[in-house]
Amino acid sequence: MNWIYHGRCWKFGDNLGIDGDMMPLRFALEREIDPMVLRDHLMCGVDPEFPTKVSPGDIIVAGKRFGQGNPHIQGFLGIKGHALGLVAESIPRGSFRNAINAGLAFLTGCDGVVDEVETGDELEVNFESGELRNLSRRTVLRYTPLDPQLRAIIAAGGWRANLERRLARLREEAAAPG
Amino acid sequence: MAGKTIAEKILSRVTGQDVSAGDIVYPEPELVTVHDWYVVNFDKALRELGVERLHDPDRVLISTDHEPVAVSPQAVARQQQVREIVGRYGITHFFDAGRGGHGHVFPIELGYVKPGMFIEAYDVHVTNYGAVGALGIPVVVEITEVLACGSVWLRVPDTVRVNLTGSLGPGIGARDAAQKLIGDLGAALVDYSVVEFGGPGLPSIDLAGRHTLCNTPIDIGAKSALIEPDQQTLDYLEPRVEGTVELIASDSNATFRAVVDYDLDAIEPQVAVPPTPDCVVGISEVAGRTIHHAFIGSCAAANLADLRAAAEVLEGRKIHPGVRFIVTPGTQEVMAAAQAEGVLRHFIEAGAMITQPGCGPCAGGRIGGLASGEVSINTGTRNDYGRLGAPDSEIYLASSATVAASAVAGRITDPREVMGGAGG
Repeated sequence: MNWIYHGRCWKFGDNLGIDGDMMPLRFALEREIDPMVLRDHLMCGVDPEFPTKVSPGDIIVAGKRFGQGNPHIQGFLGIKGHALGLVAESIPRGSFRNAINAGLAFLTGCDGVVDEVETGDELEVNFESGELRNLSRRTVLRYTPLDPQLRAIIAAGGWRANLERRLARLREEAAAPG
Repeated sequence: MAGKTIAEKILSRVTGQDVSAGDIVYPEPELVTVHDWYVVNFDKALRELGVERLHDPDRVLISTDHEPVAVSPQAVARQQQVREIVGRYGITHFFDAGRGGHGHVFPIELGYVKPGMFIEAYDVHVTNYGAVGALGIPVVVEITEVLACGSVWLRVPDTVRVNLTGSLGPGIGARDAAQKLIGDLGAALVDYSVVEFGGPGLPSIDLAGRHTLCNTPIDIGAKSALIEPDQQTLDYLEPRVEGTVELIASDSNATFRAVVDYDLDAIEPQVAVPPTPDCVVGISEVAGRTIHHAFIGSCAAANLADLRAAAEVLEGRKIHPGVRFIVTPGTQEVMAAAQAEGVLRHFIEAGAMITQPGCGPCAGGRIGGLASGEVSINTGTRNDYGRLGAPDSEIYLASSATVAASAVAGRITDPREVMGGAGG
């Protein structure tokens, strides 16, 4: 998996809601989990044009409690559908799991990051090392990357894909002689 | 060397590693619980993954609590499917309709849960197991991975320690303290943490109250909640549990996210107003609001003490003509005890309906729900719009004594007014 994302910054403030802001609630109720369907509705609650403006490799930078509310995974699958990276000051518990399970490259716990970037800045983020380069401002910020065990789930493609691998491994172990 | 919290000690023991808050681990739960509304779903997921055998079916407990009395053809069919699935996977700890009761409560009564145990579940209010000092953590749909592989990743949580002082006054329930507490602590402080209760005021809270204290923090984003087990825990569990029961406590030099002192003497009756359980106000702010529906039950008020507190208010009184009142004892054991000591009679004579033990209306309002524009006061776990039926109905959450007093008056009422009036 390529952990280095290079693209434009899309900045959001604090308390962006999972339902409504990030993704219309109806997709959660319909249990839609196809990233390619969900990508067309990403962030439409705060910016209806968002899905048409972003490109793969762009990076969402958000404030505190990104994805707050009832932890539905659809908003994070929408981010995955655009192949965007995510850097947040904080992500509440349920959405943290969903970001892992959706297989997103992300950093969290990045205190003050919203003061260091603006929408449109050219960013390069290494999600494996935690280094964020703001090429527009010529600044470098360093954050703590996710635990390697969580990055392994993300590298596998998210929860479902990782579980399939784990089961295959368990079956091999069970079949191994002695 | 830094000390450890109860949660860190439990997860260190289970993983065989020296773990601290923030570590990512794959701990194997010693008990896995799933309720009747998710069994068909996990079976479908496992089949899609080609999994035919569970990692350890003997650790799995299935409870039929969300819809024990099937009231639709779909529910009848689902119960039949659940029985087939349970048999196919060889799950022996299966509590079908009419057995056990609420899955967050009866496993404690039956000795499945001990202090220091680690348990995972599909349903979020598994945190009730903290009432005897166990760590119950919900993993929702990822329970499929636990069932198939024995574990799923977990970030070791840090702990918010709540030191209770004083004791609750007459007419005040643990629910009042629990609601006030989550309103005061706030989501930002408890996110991803375990809320640990202890302190000199804890002995004054009975087991029922401990269930309630451990039930509410999850609704503002905590990972779990537990009490520091004590002599009361040992006395309760001793006749119920096989083998020895050992106490567990956080080390004096453990690292807590926060330490909060909480004075039980200062608690007044509290009401959570729509739309979330942490929108908590003193009862005087909403007293007088007309109600149409009242309910006592759910895993937040499942025990005999919750029923007793309400019966005390109801004794010799009738429910207001404009109110329908549903009572759901948490478990078969609670219902039998309430019957034996005459508590149920007070409800029946007052005009209440008593249902099969389990979740009762709190499970999405499938039974005894709300119509458009109606107002309910109840002891359920949540008050989101639409939780009990019509999206424009309103739900107020309160202690069982407040619910009973309100059912009598037909409006939200401080139980101390009713009890005071009866005192002459």
